[in-house]
Amino acid sequence: MLKLSADAAETIARHAESTYPDECVGLLLGHLEDDDSKVVTRALAVENRWAGQVSLAETDNAESRRDRFYLDPRDYLRADREARAAGMDIVGCYHSHPDYPATPSDRDRVGAQGVGGGTGFAFVIQSVREGRAAEVASWLLVAEGERFEQEDLVKEYL
Amino acid sequence: MATITIPTALRQYAGGSASLSLEAETVGSLLRGLVEQHPTLGKHLFSEQGKLRSFVNIYVGDEDIRYLDGQDTPVAAGDTVSIIPAIAGGSYV
Repeated sequence: MLKLSADAAETIARHAESTYPDECVGLLLGHLEDDDSKVVTRALAVENRWAGQVSLAETDNAESRRDRFYLDPRDYLRADREARAAGMDIVGCYHSHPDYPATPSDRDRVGAQGVGGGTGFAFVIQSVREGRAAEVASWLLVAEGERFEQEDLVKEYL
Repeated sequence: MATITIPTALRQYAGGSASLSLEAETVGSLLRGLVEQHPTLGKHLFSEQGKLRSFVNIYVGDEDIRYLDGQDTPVAAGDTVSIIPAIAGGSYV
């Protein structure tokens, strides 16, 4: 289960609207609970630096941030230091799907392979329709990275 | 001793550790030492050909080892080496 603070949910929704029609990306800071629930106290917006750095599909267009995102490891490293200094961990990431449902694509699965998967890291997707934030969902990478499985997302927990 | 930090989702393969301190002279020997202690981490870091996976990045301080000497990059006592994932994706085919 993912417990998302109202503040973090608001940050994700506004970030997704502000980059529309491009995808946005960010990291989720918080902590893991004993039952492997993830509590997110803060969403940290990161720049979508997609420029074809990695190969996701034959149809990749290095120019199009409308349907691709790239979370640069340097931004991850900076966020990780910030999280550790505040006694938190990175417990997930988020990105937006402009005019597309909050369900992961196969490109999302390919691009998640560096993370490791399991219940301890959430992949949150915020759908945006015609510029307005729509549904949001949280996914786990399971079965050795073969597929995503949806998990419960609870807002306004904190 | 150099310290190697492990990202959240890979800690399950490292006994839950967020970081480890090991004696090593290069990044490669540090990674080998880490995998010796936690063998299941190996396949998450390296391909079957023994190369670092394309979505896995290793930083010494603020520098990506791909732009240094790769796994031959020297590490000094007190250095922090970070394992950092790149995450990518997108909505359409």
